[in-house]
Amino acid sequence: MADQPTDHVRESAPRERRAFPWRIGARRAGLLMAGALALTGIVFAWQAAQLDLGQLGLPGPGFFPLALALLLVIFSAAIALEGWLSSAKETATETAKDEALEFGHPQVLITFAALLAVPILFEPLGALIALGLLTAVLLVFIARLSPLLAVVWSAVGMAASWYLFEELLGVRLPTGPF
Amino acid sequence: MTGFDQLIRGFAVALSWKGLLYCFIGCLWGTIVGVLPGLGPLAGMTLLLPLTFGLDPTIGIIMLTGIFYGAMYGGSTTSILVRIPGEAASVVTCIDGYEMARQGRAGPALMISAVGSFIGGTVSVLGLMFIAPPLAKVMIAIGQPVEVVLMLLALSVISIVSAGSRIKTATMVVLGLLLGTIGLDNLTGAPRFTFGSPELSGGLSFAALAIGLFGLSEILINLEKTETIKAIQPKLRDLIPRWNDVRDSAPAVARGSVIGFIFGIIPGVSHVVSTFVSYAVEKRVSKHPEQFGKGAIAGVAGPETANNAVTGTAMIPLLALGIPSIPATALLLSALTIHGVQPGPLLLTDRPEVFWGLVASMYIGNIILLMLNLPLVGIFVNLLRIPYPWLVTAILVVSLIGVYSVNSSSIDIWITVVSGGVGYLLRKLGYEMAPLLLALVLGDRLEANFRLALTMSGGSYATFLDTASVVVLGSVLALLLLVQALAWAFGYRKSFADDAERA
Repeated sequence: MADQPTDHVRESAPRERRAFPWRIGARRAGLLMAGALALTGIVFAWQAAQLDLGQLGLPGPGFFPLALALLLVIFSAAIALEGWLSSAKETATETAKDEALEFGHPQVLITFAALLAVPILFEPLGALIALGLLTAVLLVFIARLSPLLAVVWSAVGMAASWYLFEELLGVRLPTGPF
Repeated sequence: MTGFDQLIRGFAVALSWKGLLYCFIGCLWGTIVGVLPGLGPLAGMTLLLPLTFGLDPTIGIIMLTGIFYGAMYGGSTTSILVRIPGEAASVVTCIDGYEMARQGRAGPALMISAVGSFIGGTVSVLGLMFIAPPLAKVMIAIGQPVEVVLMLLALSVISIVSAGSRIKTATMVVLGLLLGTIGLDNLTGAPRFTFGSPELSGGLSFAALAIGLFGLSEILINLEKTETIKAIQPKLRDLIPRWNDVRDSAPAVARGSVIGFIFGIIPGVSHVVSTFVSYAVEKRVSKHPEQFGKGAIAGVAGPETANNAVTGTAMIPLLALGIPSIPATALLLSALTIHGVQPGPLLLTDRPEVFWGLVASMYIGNIILLMLNLPLVGIFVNLLRIPYPWLVTAILVVSLIGVYSVNSSSIDIWITVVSGGVGYLLRKLGYEMAPLLLALVLGDRLEANFRLALTMSGGSYATFLDTASVVVLGSVLALLLLVQALAWAFGYRKSFADDAERA
């Protein structure tokens, strides 16, 4: 019992700092996303400007993308402005309530990292091995299975996938070096 | 050949052993994806898309459409028994459906929901049958400028009726149109944003983006939640509703059919919006509005009927105009194109067997779903016992193989994974994915028709304001404004955002 912290100790102890998930104010996250969208618009506009724009009455292949890219930049700026104005308004009235958003829950990060590996390995190793690895990783880290069981279930899953897609549906999947 | 003869021919296709088998598979799979949270009709359709490659186009489309309306039936089961909407259109059903289940009345809720879905679905197919052919004839008579105006209108309406921020929705529309320009230019063949990659010449794969933005992002968001699912198990003998239930729900079913039918034509999130409006109407006209939220059967019957009534009507703009109104029909458009069938006004004259076969199959599918959903509800509920990580793993493997199989390209897997990550971030920040996908699928034709119309008019923008287009634009706008006014009058945005939160 003596080892257990009292409520007082618990309150005064510094908060545990975890790397994941990241906590970020919704408004700040919104501004960052608006910035990313605006940047996307700028890149598209720059690329579209390299194409033949044609004339106003006879648009070329670059006309439509350029107009859309510029619209994307304008709309993104409007979103950012909207967020900034509401933030300024709340600060002025002292009612600021920027709720925190969490990004990058460990399970999300693991799943996404495993997914990113799939297109990299899909052709060099073959579809079934790449997807088998994805299955095994998810079963170990998300379903909390032992590695051995995960490998066994992964093999069963891949055998079933091969039968369903290659044999029954006739889908040709990359075989890799084998 | 008259419409009736065509329908008989359609039934011949739909009642063939292949037609029945694939309609059954579609309905069954649709119910399963509707029941499972995190898998909606879009993901369900994309997953089985490869299965249709070896099939006759009509049979393939019958199966995919079966998934679409089957998911609407299945979505109510989880809403009523678990209080988790199986898919977005069943959110409202959680409110009173789950309350009924808690009071030991899950059976009547499921029964009324299934019967309402059947009636709504059947009414909307009747609408599809009677409205699409004359609408297609009108569309043939008018030209490209009107098509441009209609598509622009559809995209504007998505922003207007959106449940979220309008500026964010408009941004998603623009982003979707922009992504749609990737690939070879339709008119000159000039490569745009392909960076020398031959795989990108054909543009971004719609299936890959749809799976990423809808399916994958949904999975990533769901992985953050840790709650376990506890379902209420109804007994088959408890399914029979009392006379009071039938009396209270019959008018709600009738109104839900009309609301769903009207909203089905509106682009965007019509299937979701129609359920909120239906719930609002039922609460407004009820003699006991205080019972809503505490297990009112009309709060289940109306919205469930409405979301199924949308399914048939949503096919009208797709099949008659070639303009999808919701993401599921956008995927159908993509599937039809893969099969070499171009939806639009010429579909009824060039490929009548596809249209009438589909109409006939929707009648049959609704009957299959009614027979499937009630006796097998216990089995469908047991699907929820599968641990989510196992389900996620299976869904991801099948999705990635499905995405690859469309074009046999690993670039599509990249597109799925990256768009899944981007979709996860966007959705967490309140951006909707449906407008992006609809814009993506329309963007190509919008640009091509816009430039063709200008070329044919000698560069005059007045071509977009000729008499026919003004009439079409005016009529459609008036209809949309009326619907929008109705939605606002019943407080969809405000009070029903609260209902959604409660659900």
